[in-house]
Amino acid sequence: MLEISNLVKVYPGPVAALQGVSLEASRGMLGLLGPNGAGKTTLMRIVAGLLEPTSGAVFLNGEDVSVDPRRIRRQLGYLPQHFGFYPHLTGAAMLHFLLVLKGVKAPRGVKRLAAELLERVNLREAAKRKVGTWSGGMRQRLGIAQALAGNPRIVVVDEPTAGLDPEERMRFYRLLAELAEDRLVLLSTHIVEDISVLCPRVAVLTGGRIVADTTPGEARARLEGAIFEGAVEKDRMADLTDRFEITQAVLIEGRNRVRVHVPNGLPPDGFEPVAPSLEDAYLLLTRNRRSGNGATPEAAEHTGS
Amino acid sequence: MTSFARFAAVTRRELSSALRRPSYWFLFGVLALAAWGFSEGAVTISSGDATAGGERSHITSVFAQTMFQSILITGMGAWFLAIAAGLVLIRDSEFQIGEILHSTRLTPREYAWGSFAGAALAFLVIWGLFLAMSAGFNHVLATGEDVRHIGPFVPGNYLYPALLLGLPQIMFFAGVPFLLGAWTRRPIVVFAFPVTVVLVILGFLVSWSPSWLDPAVNRALMLVDPSGFRWLNETFLKLDQGMDFYNTAPLPADAGFLLSRIAVAGVGLLAVEAAARNTARRLLRGDTDAVVIGFRRSGRKRAPEDAEAIQPPAAGTLGELGMRTEPPGFLAAATAIGRTEVLELLVRPGMYLFVPLILWQSVSQSLFALGPFDAPLLLTSGAMAARQFNTLSLLVCVLLLFYTVESLMKERAQRFAEIYRTTPAGTGAMLFGKTAGTVVVAGVVLAAALIASWAIIVVRQLLGDPVGFDLWPFLAAWGGVMAPTFIFWTAFVTAAFALFRNRYTVYGLGLAVLIYTVYGMNVGDPLPWVTNWIAWNSVSLWSDMGAFSLHGDALLLNRLFYLSLVPLLLVLAMRWLGRQEFDAVRILHRLQPRALSRSGLRLVPFLLPPVFLGSLLFFWGRAGDQGPDAEEAAKNYWRRNVATWTDFRMPSVSRVDLDVDLEPRERSASVSGAYTFVNHRDRAYPQLPITAGPWAPIEWTLDGEPAEPEDRSGLFVITPEAPLAPGDSLTVGFRYELEYPRGLGTRAGPRNQFILDSGVVLTAFGPTFAPVPGYLPGIGVDKDNRYDAREYSDDFYEGETEPALGWGGKPLTTRIRITVPEEYTANSVGRLTSDEVRDGRRTVVWESDQPVRLFNIVAGRYAVEEGRGTAIYYHPEHDYNVEEMSAALDAAREHYSDWFYPFPWELLKLSEFPAYASYAQGFPTNITFSEGIGFLTKSDPRAHAAFAIVAHEAAHQWWGNILTPGRGPGGNMLSEGMSHYATILLHQEVHGDRHRIEFAKRIEDLYGDGRFVDSERPLVRIDGSRPGDGPAIYNKGGWVMWMLQQEMGREHLLAGLRAFIDAYQSGSDFPVIQDMLAVLRDFAPDAEAFDAFTAQWFHEVVVPEYRLAEVKKERTGSGWLVRGTLENAGSGRMTVEVAATANERWSDEGDDATRTVVHRDYRDARAVGTLDAGGSAGFEITAGFDPERVVVDPDALVLQLRRQAAVFDFPE
Repeated sequence: MLEISNLVKVYPGPVAALQGVSLEASRGMLGLLGPNGAGKTTLMRIVAGLLEPTSGAVFLNGEDVSVDPRRIRRQLGYLPQHFGFYPHLTGAAMLHFLLVLKGVKAPRGVKRLAAELLERVNLREAAKRKVGTWSGGMRQRLGIAQALAGNPRIVVVDEPTAGLDPEERMRFYRLLAELAEDRLVLLSTHIVEDISVLCPRVAVLTGGRIVADTTPGEARARLEGAIFEGAVEKDRMADLTDRFEITQAVLIEGRNRVRVHVPNGLPPDGFEPVAPSLEDAYLLLTRNRRSGNGATPEAAEHTGS
Repeated sequence: MTSFARFAAVTRRELSSALRRPSYWFLFGVLALAAWGFSEGAVTISSGDATAGGERSHITSVFAQTMFQSILITGMGAWFLAIAAGLVLIRDSEFQIGEILHSTRLTPREYAWGSFAGAALAFLVIWGLFLAMSAGFNHVLATGEDVRHIGPFVPGNYLYPALLLGLPQIMFFAGVPFLLGAWTRRPIVVFAFPVTVVLVILGFLVSWSPSWLDPAVNRALMLVDPSGFRWLNETFLKLDQGMDFYNTAPLPADAGFLLSRIAVAGVGLLAVEAAARNTARRLLRGDTDAVVIGFRRSGRKRAPEDAEAIQPPAAGTLGELGMRTEPPGFLAAATAIGRTEVLELLVRPGMYLFVPLILWQSVSQSLFALGPFDAPLLLTSGAMAARQFNTLSLLVCVLLLFYTVESLMKERAQRFAEIYRTTPAGTGAMLFGKTAGTVVVAGVVLAAALIASWAIIVVRQLLGDPVGFDLWPFLAAWGGVMAPTFIFWTAFVTAAFALFRNRYTVYGLGLAVLIYTVYGMNVGDPLPWVTNWIAWNSVSLWSDMGAFSLHGDALLLNRLFYLSLVPLLLVLAMRWLGRQEFDAVRILHRLQPRALSRSGLRLVPFLLPPVFLGSLLFFWGRAGDQGPDAEEAAKNYWRRNVATWTDFRMPSVSRVDLDVDLEPRERSASVSGAYTFVNHRDRAYPQLPITAGPWAPIEWTLDGEPAEPEDRSGLFVITPEAPLAPGDSLTVGFRYELEYPRGLGTRAGPRNQFILDSGVVLTAFGPTFAPVPGYLPGIGVDKDNRYDAREYSDDFYEGETEPALGWGGKPLTTRIRITVPEEYTANSVGRLTSDEVRDGRRTVVWESDQPVRLFNIVAGRYAVEEGRGTAIYYHPEHDYNVEEMSAALDAAREHYSDWFYPFPWELLKLSEFPAYASYAQGFPTNITFSEGIGFLTKSDPRAHAAFAIVAHEAAHQWWGNILTPGRGPGGNMLSEGMSHYATILLHQEVHGDRHRIEFAKRIEDLYGDGRFVDSERPLVRIDGSRPGDGPAIYNKGGWVMWMLQQEMGREHLLAGLRAFIDAYQSGSDFPVIQDMLAVLRDFAPDAEAFDAFTAQWFHEVVVPEYRLAEVKKERTGSGWLVRGTLENAGSGRMTVEVAATANERWSDEGDDATRTVVHRDYRDARAVGTLDAGGSAGFEITAGFDPERVVVDPDALVLQLRRQAAVFDFPE
């Protein structure tokens, strides 16, 4: 059981990266969604024991791991947003080294385990080559392999699919989903699609605050009947923007394909109702927050998981 | 934006970044301290009149400033420049800004040159501040009582050296590392550069200058020295030119040197251009990513990611793997980390740079090791291990500084830190693993140095050297003493890194500590044991006769103290290193007093051992005879007695009876004995002062009855019931226990006398083991109460003159009974009259067969080589030169007896003592001789040190003992100068011309290098009180007598000397030079010429300096005519030969212990001329051969300066 209680983090400057974040989660995959600078990575690093909070606490099974991060390290699989490896070691040696540091054991030995994990992330052929010669995507997969190693009780992954091609991304989704069956996976991303595919629960973080803690379905359901889509000439866009809350606008062949949020049911001329997406919900949540409108009514609701 | 604007923008960026870097401000701090230290006059050119109130050379002169700037930039600046310039491109790579920068219009050349210019400019800014501070300290703030070392403010004196030597060095020391950084992207390679270059400069280019070095080689070394210091030293400083010259003359740079400086700067600038091209090539190759992650692309092509991506997905779930996690054990984690560190080291080029560097150090320090008279040394394994100790310690500490910081930085630099720090491995295991991996570096370096040392010894053995290899000195010195330094230093650097978490700050701090340590050890007072973390100089006093027997206890405590700090430092490192980034607000909470004291309490268990050991080291060290109590006691002795007893003339001691029971392992002795005083003067003595050591309680007796003399702080004043009337005698007895040296001692350093397990050497010069009659004016005198040297009147020697050596009055007889452990041999003056062994103790009795004036004791575990009325007692493993030394002693006894006076005693002994002091002393019949000199030198025709030192010390039997010189100016020359003269004669007699000429040249160089032009006085006025007196007394004294022999003729001079000894050897008037000249004049065939000679060489200061000019040769029928001009640029009027020669003069056959042989192909033809000071004259030499060279004074008959320059080689 992970309990994040009123977490505040102020960097010298001062910059308030987190302003009282509270969350609870016990099992399954929790998506942490937010724009750049929302505080996601700060929150992840605090949970991983890499960063001391200014105040607040992170409890894992009742123990405050923000005070003694050693308690979480034994149960943690962590994949940071940016990382590298020792370039002079081969992939197999690098992973073996990490398995030893993590205290990972396996019936057929650690060396064999390293080989099998590399196979799981499709790096078998590159295992004997020095990591320094690998591409960015391959290093990303090695990062994933080490994060999954050792049957961790909590997995924290920060922007994990950056640099992965679609096939590898799917393979990773599968691994994460498998892990999330019996443990907590904390997935931080700004890619809404990742969340909608993987996470039964999503917390939206913006400006250092949780503005929504919900499920993708519920988020979509709350917008049911309020999203309309239509095509607009370029010269009408300014007028439309003044009158409606636009969730998406894409310029296609000289015309804007626009989705608008119309809670009172009077859409612009020519607009048709469409099924709301998680992206619509996310964009509305984060935009309102950033424009100073405060939390939306949805933010106040906490569905838990 | 123009190209220049882009370049300027990069320069500004780098300049501003560099100036914010802490390492530069560390440098600034160190330079500020140096500027202040210089302004205090701590370091000056060795010139001027050093007497109180005398003039001194100015530290503000262009020569002094050039010297400071040259050494400071090489010794300190090189490191900071390498870090600043060498890491610029590496840092940009780590920050991944390369691609962004190069996506602009910025060209690689603008980027490289701009970055370099910024880094170099930052150093120039600091350097400019240093110069401004120096000028401020010197000309504005220097207002002490003594500012004689400050000259007028001349801005050019600061700026000219900065341009002449500073700027080329800065370009060189910044440019080359810049290229290395660009090339390799590896910090270690960048750091290797200053390590290598500075060691080569300071360890070889600046310091290696044997007097026999070929001038052409010397010149070449001057030009290749990037620091320029060798040029400055060899051209202007080595041979003192006088204070006026240094204070006022300009510093002219010759064309060759100017070109060499341009070349030095050019190397640096070319390196920058090469770096720019390298950067451009990398961009073209698309190497940026490889740069970012800090490794070079391997030769293999990167596999396209698609190739991996198209592999079919692996089957199976994670669950099938059966993984589980247990907390990793300390050892398993540490081993994995250490192994990874070592694996990385193996692929880094740093190791492959440093190992050859260490090999070079080992080889150069051993191959080029010179002893007395520039003689090559025979290095035993112990001496070799000790000789390399300081440099190796320092070098490896520099290496560990870089490796430790880079190792701790590595995860961050390679972006692996977040994954690494979230593993459950303990922080302790991580630090231990990294430390262990880094210490392997030290191990590899030491192993390489050990192998190099072994190889040197083996190769030398193959070439005929007798010294074999022994492993244990290396294990003891390097393993036992040096290894704890590395462990402590690594822990210190780790803790510093944990605290600051900044590479540059830790480099700055580490280098500042190293610079301070080396500066402190070499310029200031040696560091006390308690702060001597690197054990500097603790092993350099190595003795094969018993390693560590002098400093063993102190060293053991010192090592334990620094090892005990390691857990504390590691605990602090673990706390500060924090795998969790601390929050600033929470840090403030932790700094509150209550939180701080809680943290402090947790450290108590780690603090206690170092506090205990450090206190022990501090207080035990100060409790001994180097401590403040001993200093205060000596000061009290001086205070209470100087006014009363300074000029008190003692009655004679006619007999000494001593019973000395030595316990070398305990450093102690029980002493009892009695002195019989006889009043040989014409007045009564109501009181007799006797100086004793700190031997309380001392039981005194007077004529056998208990006595209680007045204790005047160590001067015991005995008051007999009736004054000691002329001709009467009384016996003063004493008994006490002593320890010498007492206590641990405060710092490492030599001891002139000692009772140690390895050997014993004690003299009656001072109260180390036996009381000394009278007041000793040297005790308790230091810089605070040193008074001006006494000024003597011209006729001070008229009437009775007191002796310069010994206790005064008449000669005495001795009976000295010494008890030692059975395995020891104990020697003293006179002949052995008894030698008994009982209960494991040997008791020997030495009695003077003829009267003596001084006595000593030497003991050790000896083998003995007996000669003809001589014996050499030596450490059984030091038999290399014994045969030759024995032959020299035999020859000395035989020939000196013929030349000067029959040797009056039965046996002439020479005994070796441990190299805790490096001297030899010629006590009557009992010469003591440090193992560090003649026993371990290699016989070489250029410098025959073993022979020379034996000959010199043996000569003291005559010049010092049989004839005791008088106290006052010119007295010492009769002892030391005459012994050098005797040595010249013995060289000639035993080995012939070549050895005599080489010895004469060696001591001529010693005189030239050691003289102080401004304060040098004529030989008849030199009393040993001023710097430069020693070299003149020994070397000029010996030379002048050798020249007097040319003037008078050998037999006339020797007859005169015999008459002189006869006249003075048993009287109570002790002679000085004037007394000798008065006797010799009667033996001079030409009294007028004798007077002219003695006037200029004894009563004036003259030294010729010959120059050849316009030398040409032309063929004349069957022969050759050589013409030229000879000039005397020095002083004095002498007749001198000029020779045209062909082929090498000496044949290699017949070297070593036999007489030299002139090579059969050698030819010469000579001309003779007499030149006054400043005079010149043409010469013509007709030769029947084709001359190759013209040499002034080919037979070394005239003392002169810069003899090496008085040679002309005809072009091929």
